[in-house]
Parts: sequence; structure tokens; C-alpha cells
Amino acid sequence: MNLFILAWRNIKRNFDKYKMYFFSLSFSVFTTYSFLALMHNEYVKMAFTYDDRYQSLLTGFGIVIMVFVMFFLLSSNSSFIKARKKEISTYSLLGMTNAKIGQLLFTETMIVGLAALVIGICIGVFFSKLIAMILLDISLAAFTGELAFTIAPRSIYITAILFIAVFGIMGLSGLRVISKFELVDLFKAEKVAEGRSKGSLIVLLISLVLVGTGYYLASSPEPAVVVPASIPVLVLVILGTYLFFWEGLAVILNIIKKRKGRYYRAANLISISAFSHRMRTIGAVMATIAVLSAVATTGIATGYTLYSNTEKNTYEVIGYDMYFYGGQEELLGDIEKAFDTHNTRIIQEFTTQRYTCKPQMDDSIVTGAYRISSQTDYFRVYSQSVYNKLVTISRTNNKPVDIKSGQALYIYPFMTDDIAQEINGQELAFSDRKITVTSILRANFVSFGAIHTIVINDNDFNALIKRGDIMDGDNGGTPYDAVTVFTYENPLRSAELNHDLSLILSGKTGNFRTAYSNFDESLQVFGLICFIGFFMSAVFILMTASLLYFKQVMAAEEERHQYRMLRKIGMDDLLERRVISSRLLPVFFIPLAVGIIHSIFAMKAADTIVFSNMIPVGNSYLTVLACSSVMYGLYALVYGVFYFITREQYSRIVK
Amino acid sequence: MEILKTQNISKIYGSQKSSKQYMALKSISFTVNEGEFIGVMGASGSGKTSLLNILGSIDKATTGRLFIAGKDISSLNQKQLARHRMENIGFIFQDYNLLETMTIRENIILPLALSGYQAEVMEEKVNTIANDLGIISVLDKYSYEVSGGEQQRAAACRALISNPKIILADEPTGNLDSKSGKDLLELLTFINTEHKATIIMVTHDAFAASYCKRILFIRDGEIYNQLHAGESKKEFFNSIIDVMSVLGGEEK
Repeated sequence: MNLFILAWRNIKRNFDKYKMYFFSLSFSVFTTYSFLALMHNEYVKMAFTYDDRYQSLLTGFGIVIMVFVMFFLLSSNSSFIKARKKEISTYSLLGMTNAKIGQLLFTETMIVGLAALVIGICIGVFFSKLIAMILLDISLAAFTGELAFTIAPRSIYITAILFIAVFGIMGLSGLRVISKFELVDLFKAEKVAEGRSKGSLIVLLISLVLVGTGYYLASSPEPAVVVPASIPVLVLVILGTYLFFWEGLAVILNIIKKRKGRYYRAANLISISAFSHRMRTIGAVMATIAVLSAVATTGIATGYTLYSNTEKNTYEVIGYDMYFYGGQEELLGDIEKAFDTHNTRIIQEFTTQRYTCKPQMDDSIVTGAYRISSQTDYFRVYSQSVYNKLVTISRTNNKPVDIKSGQALYIYPFMTDDIAQEINGQELAFSDRKITVTSILRANFVSFGAIHTIVINDNDFNALIKRGDIMDGDNGGTPYDAVTVFTYENPLRSAELNHDLSLILSGKTGNFRTAYSNFDESLQVFGLICFIGFFMSAVFILMTASLLYFKQVMAAEEERHQYRMLRKIGMDDLLERRVISSRLLPVFFIPLAVGIIHSIFAMKAADTIVFSNMIPVGNSYLTVLACSSVMYGLYALVYGVFYFITREQYSRIVK
Repeated sequence: MEILKTQNISKIYGSQKSSKQYMALKSISFTVNEGEFIGVMGASGSGKTSLLNILGSIDKATTGRLFIAGKDISSLNQKQLARHRMENIGFIFQDYNLLETMTIRENIILPLALSGYQAEVMEEKVNTIANDLGIISVLDKYSYEVSGGEQQRAAACRALISNPKIILADEPTGNLDSKSGKDLLELLTFINTEHKATIIMVTHDAFAASYCKRILFIRDGEIYNQLHAGESKKEFFNSIIDVMSVLGGEEK
């Protein structure tokens, strides 16, 4: 019987064990191929205007994925070989040399690997169109092009080369594992503690302090603190996590063990002791998975938060579907014609003068970049009725206001609590009256080129115009351009209308913005980040979860005799199920929980740096958390499914 | 008082339809009284382990009935059987079957934990019995850290701790050197006399068997002979050897 036939028989006989292994190999191949195919897809390249930037973002992401795939494959390979210790030792006992056994395993790896390669690429080709569609759909506001079904020979070629190399390394690493085996170890392997650890209270405390410090830095409200601290935070938290799983968890288990009343209940006794028996080996895996889960959940949560806030953010910036100032007489006719041509109804259209004023006031300076002084700055000024009209047209969530005589609403796009405090109560002195800032708003939709905006009572406004305190032109007497705002149907889906409008407006007006253009640009960036977040998280979730599956199924093979023994002394089926559940649940739950907690703090940091400027609500972190928790839920769901699969398989093995 | 009774127990391996049926036990009937120390002897493949498994309700007899303390065990369902094993039967195995994930103490209390005792009660019982059997000093060690003899004592403790009606021992001395083996046999005798435990021990070692009060010899799935211990252990041992040689002689 030659080696190839023996290898083939082994695979057939071990099909059950190989099933999951095969699945994850194929999935790795599929991921890699899909990725390469995306990067080389002409349509995808064409669709993104700034080709180079996205290409490098995608490449960077591709490298991260590949590194992880390598880690995953090598790790699952070595636990796969360990699970077959008995079989290997039997060969060895029968006089097969280590080199021959190595060759046998190498042949097996190659057979399975090549099959996985072919299947993975086939699935990849089959789904490549779908994946490109998803990417384009979430990254472009309105993708209208036809995406043809393509097979990318270059990607197939690269994937094949890459994985044959990986499988080669896997085969060789198997050889290394075997050469380290001592025959006698192979037979008593199951009896020796796999890494029981008493743990160390000091290390537990250190790990908590490290993670705590990391959390503390990450949750600082000052971007100036968070940004430079990001690398130290990463180091602190990752180090803390590993220490926690290596030494700290054992201490916690020992504390649980001291509480005999609870610990001595049958299911707890069996599962906790089994868990602490494997602490060392499973600890490293759990730490790695916790860190990866943190990365993946943060990635996916960031992507999703950005994505789901893109539309809202667009209107925070633009305010309407379109506005422009200057050149109304020549342009309005053309614009209305363009709407007609594209069969789009204008919902509202409103034109108003842009007034300014320059009252006397005390200089206001707030640490940071904010300063306002009557020497250098002016205010855009609206009467309450015009402002309320703009509010009702705009697609923002702002409410109409009621302002009494002598009072003003101050509006600033980059408002912070400090600025609000500084400016509130500020007196603005006009030639015949004083107006006090009594309310504050953070908004951008009425600025139209100005930095500071105030809204005052209609009577004050009219009186001040008469006195010349409010001007509708510069000092030379040239009047300011009026501004026209529009809202219309389907603003974010009308690519061609937007194109025509841009053609009409560009160069002929003081300034114009459309919600569509802003939305499209944001989507290109955020959509890609979101897609990468999703893709990466999907890969991480599936791989970390199947890694846990492997470890547990392999452990099941070794723990089988225990369950046989326990049944002999009177464990019934119900109790057995409970024991298995509480044996497996922590393995899945703890890394997931740690990963999510890490991610919650990472999102806090991301909120401080990015989202607080993007999401215009008082406590943007709550919005971020709400978006994130959707993704955490999804993540937990997938882990839950894997937990049940693992439990089923585990129960089947120990039966 | 009669504690265990079998009525025409048979065990057939292999499916009913296939021709490869193998009859391990053929219509075995015997009774055991409370406080007896019974040996079951026979050559390899004679069916003695099958019998022990059925007595311990780990395996089901193909036909026949088994009564323990007057209760018909063959009529119990899976759950009741598990409960029955937990309450009435203590096992001592050849390879000890201690869980390597637990300390000796945790191993010993396992049967109590399975039936849901209070932690304090368990602690008290484990200390008493470990003291009796002389392993109190190794209670907090793991099984792979103590000697084979100590592991077997721990297994005996585990079998005894729930005060079972019957203790089943499957070649308990098989993995021990002669000194530890002798210690264990004396321990079983001690348990039998002091704790009034009923012991059924499967063995193929005539020396081990000579500690029993009665021996059932099994050949080809049937009870071939019975011996009762007399005054002298030496004489008993010799008569065991005699029966064994006949059993062995006929096998050839």
C-alpha cells in the first residue's frame, strides 16, 4: 500500500474530523480569492474615482487578512495533528519512521488542501459578482453600471500559488510537531495536565491595571489626549488581555473553587475543573480571540456607525438637497428646466438675502481655535421668520424658534460646551440697542459662507436694517448674492439630475452644494471602510469561532473517557448536557465578552476623535453605542450558532 | 438478607439478525446476601466482565431479570438507572478511572455531588472515609501526582462514599504491584467487615480471590462451579488453583 492510498483512506475514515477543517480551509481560500478578484476587478477600479487611494486601503486590508488566515490555518493544523496523536503513535509503534509519518500527513494535508483550493476558488468565482455588487452598492450613492460576471485568471493564479505555499508550510509544521513527539508521550499524553496553572494574583492585578489604564486613556474626552495615546492604549490593553488569560483567569477560577457550596455542585465541579485543567493552552487561544474580536467588532461597529450616519451627516453639512448663491436671474430658469427633464418635482424652493452685521462686543476666546472679536469677525444675521422658514425647508432636525426682542440665538457649526458657556449671555451692542445671546445652537445649515450666525426678533431686525446696522452688501455697496435653497424628490438617488445641475451651476454662481455630491463622496470613503469592516469582521468571526470549535472538538476526543466514567457512576443525560454546556459556554462567552468590552472603549475613543464632530447630538457616544450594539448583537449571534454546533459535535463525540 | 438476585441472565452480542451472534452469558442465576464478599473468576472471554457490567447496570441483559434489594432493575428507564447506579452501586475499576482534571478530594466527592449533597456534608464524609483508608494526606493532590496504590484507594473511597448497597470491583489489583495489591485486598476485607459492604470482585488472580468468602467460576458464559472459603486461607487458595487448572486445562 503506498502512501497516497493510505493518506486517502485516512481522510475517508476521518471524514468527520476533516469536515470542519475542510470547511475552514475552503473558506480561507474563498476569502482570499474574493479579495484579490475585487482588487483586480475593472468595474470596481473604474467605479472609484480616486483609484490609488482605495487600492492601497484594500491592499493593506488584504495583508491583515492573509496574516490572520496563516495564523488560523497553522493553529488549526497543529491541534488537528494533536487530536490524532493516538493514530500517529500507533503508526510509530508499528515501526513507521517519523519521516514517513510526516510524509503521510503531508500527503493528507496536500490532498485536502488542493480539494479545498479548488472548491474555495469555485465558490469565490461564483460569488465574485455578488461581492463586487455589494461593495459598489454600499460605496456608491447610485451605481447604475452593469456588472458583468468575470473570472479573474490572475487572481486564481495568485490564490493558488499563495495557498500551495501555505499548505506546504502547514505540512512542514506538521513534520515539526511530529518530530517533537516522543512515543511515550503520545501514549500518556491524555493523563498529563495540559497546563494547569495556579495563576498569580499579582499578575491578575497587573493585567487589570494595564487594561484599566488603557480604558482610562481611551475614554478621555480630549481628542488631544486620545490621539497620541492610541498606540500605548493598544499595547496596554493587548498586554493586559494576554496576562489576564494566561495567569489571571486561573486565579479567578481558584476563587470560584474556594466557594465550595457552589463549586461542589456536580455540573460546576466537572466543568470548572476541566476548564482549569486546560487553562494554559486554551488561555492563549482565548486571549488571541478576545483581541481579534475586539478588532473585528470595533471595525464593524465603526463602519456601520459611519455608514448609518452618512445621510444624516450630509444634511447636517448641506442642510437642503441643493443651495447656491449668486446668479439667480440667469440660472433659475435653466434649473427648473433640468428638473422637468428628469421628471423630478421640486418640493420647496426659497430665496433669501444674506445679511451681515458687526455689533460691538467683548472678545471671546476659548482654548483651542475659537475666537471671536468685533474687530475681525462679522455675524450672518436672520430675522426669526426667515430663519423659521429655512428650518422648515431644511432636512435637518432643528426646530423653529421664538425669540423675544433684545435676545439672540447664536449658531456655530463647531459648537462645544466650552464655547457655548463663553458666548451665552454675551452682549452685542448695536447703535441704538443691545441684544443678548440667550440661546445656542450647533448647526451649519444657515451659515452660507459665514462662520458665526445670529437670529434675532423680527422687530429688532427691521429696526436695525433701517438704521444700517444690518447690511446686505459690503462696505463698497456691492450687494451680497442672495441664496436659493431647494428640496426635491429622491435627492440621493438622482445621479443624472445632479450631474446636469452641476453643469448648469458650476462657474456661474458664487457657490453651490448638492446633498447628492456630498453624500456620494462620503459614501465612497465610509462605504469602503464599512465594507472592509464587514468583510474583515466576517472573516474574523468565522475563523475565531471555528478555531474554538476545533479546540473543543479535539478536547472532546481526549475527554471522552471521563464522560464514560461519569456515566458509570451515575451521571444521567440531563446532567451530562448541563455539564457539557457549562464546560463549553465560558470558552465562547469569555473571549466574546472581553472583546466587546474592549470594543466599547475603542468606540469611545473613536467617538472622541471622529464621531463627536460628525454626529450633531449632545451625546454622540450614545448614538455610536446604539449603532455598535447592533453589530455586537450580530457578532454574539454568530458565536451563539457556533457554540451550538460545537456543543452538538462535542456531545456526539463523548457519547 | 438477600441483596442481589439474578434470574436466567443472558447476554448476546451482535445484532439479532446477523449470524455473527455471540452469546457471552447463558442463563445465569445466583443470589448474593448482604455483607458477602464474592469473587467472580474465569478465563479471558469467559463473560465475567459482561456479568459485572450487567450487575452494575452499565449494560443491559438481553434476557433475564436482575433484582437489587428486591427491586427489579431490568424495568428501570435510563434516568432511573443513572439514579440507581448513583445510590446503590459503587465501582472500583482496574485503571482506577479517576478524573485527571480533579484533585483526589474532588474525585471522591463526585458521586455525592452528582446526587446533590450539601458541601459541608460532602467535606465531612470525604474526611472520614479518607482517614479510614489512609489517604487523607494526598486529598488535595491530583491523581497523576500520587502512587498507583493511593489512586486505587481513592477509587475505593469514591465507591464507598455514597454508602452503596453493593461495591463492584473489576480486577482491582490488576495494575498494582504485589504489595499494593495485598494492601488493597486487605482494605476490601476491611470495608467488607467494618462497613458491612457487599462486594463483588471480578478477578483472574487466585491470590486476590482467596480473600473472598465465596467464589463463582464462570466458563463460556455459565456458572461452572462455586467455592466457599473455609477456615484456612491457604487451603482455600489451593482449591481455587485446582478449579482454575481444570478450567484452564479444558480450554486447550
